[in-house]
Amino acid sequence: MLLFLQISNNSLFVFYLISNLINLALLIVAIYMNTLHRYRLESLRLEGIGSSPFTPPISLLVPARNEELCIVASVRSLLRLDYPQLEVIVVNDASQDGTMRELRENFNLHQSPTLYISEIATAPVIGIYRSIEHPRLLVLDKQSAGCKADAINAGINAASSPYVCVVDADSILEKDSLSRIMAGIISDPERVVAVGGIVRILNGSIVEAAELKEVRLPRTHIEMLQVIEYLRAFLVGREAWAAFNLLPIISGAFGIFRRDLLLKIGGFRADAVGEDFDLIVRLHRYLNDLGVDYHINFIPDPTCWTEAPSDYKSLARQRARWHKGLLDTLWRARDMLFRTRYGRVGWIILPYMWLFECLAPLLELLGYATIILAAVLGALSQHFFIQFMLFGYAFATLISVGSVLLEEMNYRRYGSWREVAWLLVYCLFEHFPYRQMTMIWRLRGVWEYLRGDLTWHQVKRTGASTSPTP
Amino acid sequence: MGSDSSWLRDLGLAWLVARAILFSLLGILLLVAFIVFRRWYRGRYFARLNTRTVALREQWADILSGKVPGSAWRLNALDCQIVEDILLDNIEVSGNDQLPAFLACLRNSGLLDLRIREARSTEGWSRRSALLNLGRTRAPEAVPALAEALASPSEETRVAAVRGLGRVSSPKAALPLLELFVSEELKVPEHTLKNALLNCCRGSPEVLIPYLNLANGRTRELIARVLGELADPSLGEELLILAADPLPEVRASAARALAKVEPEVSFPVLSTLAVDTEWFVRLRAVIALSSLEHTSKVHILLRALCDSNRHVRQRAAWTLARMQQGKELILEKVVATHDNYALQAFLSELERCGSLDAALDGLGNLIERAPGSADVENVAAVVREHFAAPGKVAGAEKVAGAAAGKP
Repeated sequence: MLLFLQISNNSLFVFYLISNLINLALLIVAIYMNTLHRYRLESLRLEGIGSSPFTPPISLLVPARNEELCIVASVRSLLRLDYPQLEVIVVNDASQDGTMRELRENFNLHQSPTLYISEIATAPVIGIYRSIEHPRLLVLDKQSAGCKADAINAGINAASSPYVCVVDADSILEKDSLSRIMAGIISDPERVVAVGGIVRILNGSIVEAAELKEVRLPRTHIEMLQVIEYLRAFLVGREAWAAFNLLPIISGAFGIFRRDLLLKIGGFRADAVGEDFDLIVRLHRYLNDLGVDYHINFIPDPTCWTEAPSDYKSLARQRARWHKGLLDTLWRARDMLFRTRYGRVGWIILPYMWLFECLAPLLELLGYATIILAAVLGALSQHFFIQFMLFGYAFATLISVGSVLLEEMNYRRYGSWREVAWLLVYCLFEHFPYRQMTMIWRLRGVWEYLRGDLTWHQVKRTGASTSPTP
Repeated sequence: MGSDSSWLRDLGLAWLVARAILFSLLGILLLVAFIVFRRWYRGRYFARLNTRTVALREQWADILSGKVPGSAWRLNALDCQIVEDILLDNIEVSGNDQLPAFLACLRNSGLLDLRIREARSTEGWSRRSALLNLGRTRAPEAVPALAEALASPSEETRVAAVRGLGRVSSPKAALPLLELFVSEELKVPEHTLKNALLNCCRGSPEVLIPYLNLANGRTRELIARVLGELADPSLGEELLILAADPLPEVRASAARALAKVEPEVSFPVLSTLAVDTEWFVRLRAVIALSSLEHTSKVHILLRALCDSNRHVRQRAAWTLARMQQGKELILEKVVATHDNYALQAFLSELERCGSLDAALDGLGNLIERAPGSADVENVAAVVREHFAAPGKVAGAEKVAGAAAGKP
């Protein structure tokens, strides 16, 4: 027993150490890449992208299900984006609230006999509408297949541009975000097949007439902790993995893809729990199978602001769902593991995702249990136990502070001293107790997945993107 | 403290962990200190920048005329940066009449020479920055230094040089780009190169022709694409030759450019390109035809409306729906094609441009005059399916009623 506990504790120590060292390496790479990106931006004139006749057109796909609180504001905001050739396609996925009514009333929609070819099979599209006032707006009204992926696929079918950008209906894109994200493609259109932008948390900011007027930090602890978490995930994790062409995911809230490739791989998988992660893994698979040279990129400054869950229950549901999606996709892609054909994807990022993302909550739980047991049985020094916990906490906090540094050095969306101070303060709480809470939610996701419960629980929205916060 | 230390050392691994904790805490403190210091430094820097900008702006007329000698601001890094930024911003928005005064200031102060020297002798970011600033000056003497950087082994530097040459915006700046590109020695992203050539050759597209004749494959396609954007009527003959090019991208560019040529010259060629084997060539031809005034273009557009490619169909429908002549006559011809896809595309475009009601009203009159034909039944079915909801489109009820033989 004691031997088992000793081996278990040592293994846990090595696991933590490797995890922290990887995170440190990612932080260093991310600082380098962010700085490089900032320098590159200085030489790139975004207005040149806007005025050039060679800039490729984009179809913005907005899947919407029961989004009556925010749909009008979001669509207005999207129609005002600075991009020369833009088509906005809203897909109403059988909303049971007033989403379609809001769209009809606010955009003067008329049914249009536009030809729709279902290149990717989807639930039936029952109506195609065009706005008289906004010729660039197309609305698809479709029956539900019970998933967001199906709605996006209908949008891909209807899109007429070589690139499609998928945006959540409750999100607000910054005005130049499409030009910025497209810069990642036009720098190397032969190789770059998809680009992800950064998703930031809208809660607390001031929004007027569907435009972000002032960025502010949220008021509640749970939202603040998510701000830190998002900064770390995007500015450190995604930036660094993308540098090695190992980006495992492009957020479903904001990403741009080559349409022809999406058609070839059959679009988003309707039965996937985490359709965004699943899509990127399938893109990696498809392009590696073909043996082509490609790059899936991440650009840290095209910004999408989105509403994050503001109560514990919604957040718990969201995290459980994300973890189910992770597990589902990794399980489907298990044949890619350690296969030469899939190169570094099969040898580095997928094993990393298995070990340090998917199994991490289980390993952490096991580790906490054995450490406590060992301490109780006298097989572990209590001093060492405390030290070990402190080390894990301090090192992880270092990475979070590093992500605030990246934000401060390059993007400065939070301008005042007070806001930066709050960000730093909340870095202290991300790894205790927030991390342990998310661990429990993720474990719930594992449990639900193993039970076969793949239900999509709706996350409660307050409509933060439609009105100013008090 | 000493006893604590020996106690930790006795623990072996624990001592290592203790040191790791200390390093982590030190790292956190250093990062926080760096953030605080950087914010404080930036605040101070921008305050100074602001003060100096106001001071230099007060003397701006004298700086520009040379009454305030260059040495008064050139040797102070902050002042030099402010003056250069103001000058370059002014140059970007100035017309040709104001440009000499700004360039004279750059030359007389030695700032232009400094940037040329930096563009030639430095490396990395400072070289790229110098190249971009040189381009922004639009000074002819900047071109050789920018051209030299096109041979740099660093792609970032080559890109900066291409962007710099693009910002010079003169045909002379296009020559080094074209020479290297045609000889396939210039490796930069196509979008950057196309934009640079577009800026440089605006107003002088003929500069591209000799290089287009020398180029093959992808290079030829790219130059043709730029030419397609810039072409003017003077290039008519050259464009007719390009319209028969074996490369589809070149034919598509020729089609685009032919929109700017006299209809008598371009129409026969565009009619041929509208039935090209490649869909994007046909699409370009249809787009070009939409801007031409020619009596026979309706027939070509009607054929394009039945194209196998939906983009071509949509564009043909877009053009037909916005033509001045009677919509009901065009609608009748569309019906006569017996192509439901074509009919749907056309009706959709009529609706989008607000002409559907009038066209259906006119068509209702035609049906009343010649009821019972298969074509009439066909259009009535489509109209009933899409538009005959009560009160939706007034003309639709008339068409449906007329087709059914009701008054």
